[in-house]
Amino acid sequence: MSYQLALQQLTDSALPTGAFAHSLGFETYVDAGVVADEASFSGWLSAFISQQLTYSDGLAIRLLYEGGELGELDSLLSASLLPRQVREASCKMGLRLLEIGAEVFPSPALERYRGLVAAGRAAGHQPLAFAVVAHSLGVPLQEALAAYLFATVTSLTQNAVRAIPVGQNAGQRVLRKAHDDVAAATDTIARLTPDDLGAVSPGLEISQMRHERQRARMFMS
Amino acid sequence: MGRLELGVSLRHGRSVASHQFHQGALRVLRPHYLDDSGQVCYVVVNPGGAYLGADLFLIDVEVEDSASLLLTTQSATKVYRTPGSFAEQCMTVRLGEGARLELMPDQLIAYREASYRQRTSVTLRPSSSLVMAEVVTPGWSPDGAAFRYQEVRLRNEIRVESGHGTQLLALDNLLIRPPLGDVAGLGFMEGYSHLGSLVVVDARVDQALADELHRLTAGFDALTGISLTRTVGGTTGLVLRALSNSTGGLNRLLGTCANLLRERWYGQGALDLRKH
Repeated sequence: MSYQLALQQLTDSALPTGAFAHSLGFETYVDAGVVADEASFSGWLSAFISQQLTYSDGLAIRLLYEGGELGELDSLLSASLLPRQVREASCKMGLRLLEIGAEVFPSPALERYRGLVAAGRAAGHQPLAFAVVAHSLGVPLQEALAAYLFATVTSLTQNAVRAIPVGQNAGQRVLRKAHDDVAAATDTIARLTPDDLGAVSPGLEISQMRHERQRARMFMS
Repeated sequence: MGRLELGVSLRHGRSVASHQFHQGALRVLRPHYLDDSGQVCYVVVNPGGAYLGADLFLIDVEVEDSASLLLTTQSATKVYRTPGSFAEQCMTVRLGEGARLELMPDQLIAYREASYRQRTSVTLRPSSSLVMAEVVTPGWSPDGAAFRYQEVRLRNEIRVESGHGTQLLALDNLLIRPPLGDVAGLGFMEGYSHLGSLVVVDARVDQALADELHRLTAGFDALTGISLTRTVGGTTGLVLRALSNSTGGLNRLLGTCANLLRERWYGQGALDLRKH
């Protein structure tokens, strides 16, 4: 129970990291007419969970929990997040999380990460900032992964409700459906090898890259 | 098994092999010069014709200061069935100050039940210039169905070596495992069959170049994305990914982009790789 409320605060969609400003690529599908309703957004979200959140964010969190070197993992994320807007989004939200963490959940590990960032030796990525705080709070890995993945999924769904748009109830149905994908992803993450980090599908990457040149956009990524 | 080592250096304005070694099922054809730029072209040959299970191919390339190498293959890389195993190619590349490498291999064709791992590790200087292209086909199977192979894993690591040590610039990691799910559809191959990618690392890479290449790709029947990597030691990478339905279409798209750089940066004509 000791970490439950802290984890809820950390993964609440009202946590001011700026997640409302990022579609992480789905706006490109909306622009192309590929994602246009509840079913098609749900399909995209499923792919996003099994790719981006599994091979990049989720695996990075696991590797940090297992003792991976923070500076090296930070560098691997900066190098493997090839779409520029997604790389910048990860750092933007990560730096906010480091700031908020220092205010409400300070720990020596968090101070170390902030120190690396201040010295220009790390960029400050969102999944790593989250993992550092969650680990310092004693949140077990499986719970931390599920909470992080579902928090990201919730933000993206709220953004889709506004952007597509779809109804509030439709958004809730999408979230309920995503439970299974998040559970499957946490199982998959446990089986990956360090070599798998950053192996995100080409389709998602291309859409995230194309977003840079989209004419009308609501989101920064 | 096969091993290939190739070192290229600049002699009197022309790039020539200063070191060459091969063993087993890998060798290079005699060098040729496609124009008067001094760039040497080597063609890698696999006389066995294909990669098999437990095959390991090691390729070691060094382009010394100011030298220029165009490295290509004689034909498609074919990976036959590798039951319970995988075929692997490990390539190590070092580029010196002002050195240049264009790596333009033929497409990869993984056969039914094939597993293939390719790891390319490049270490370059901020003044080096790298262009590498790759086309991955949906493979081959007796009934003509696509994506019947087990696994294709392509990993490119690019590091920049400068006065401040060596730092990772880009990790381009591709993993396609058809047995694990729908790789053809939404969010993966988006309904396309072929994947092309082009990686450029050069101090002259900037957002304007990325935008220009993006406009250039608009004329092709492909879904293309282009983005810049982070900047390390004053040099930046550009990654282009394209999905399409044929090797020829992707070769034309990637070739058009590579030719723009050849023309602009080196005054060279379009690359014409009629195989010798």
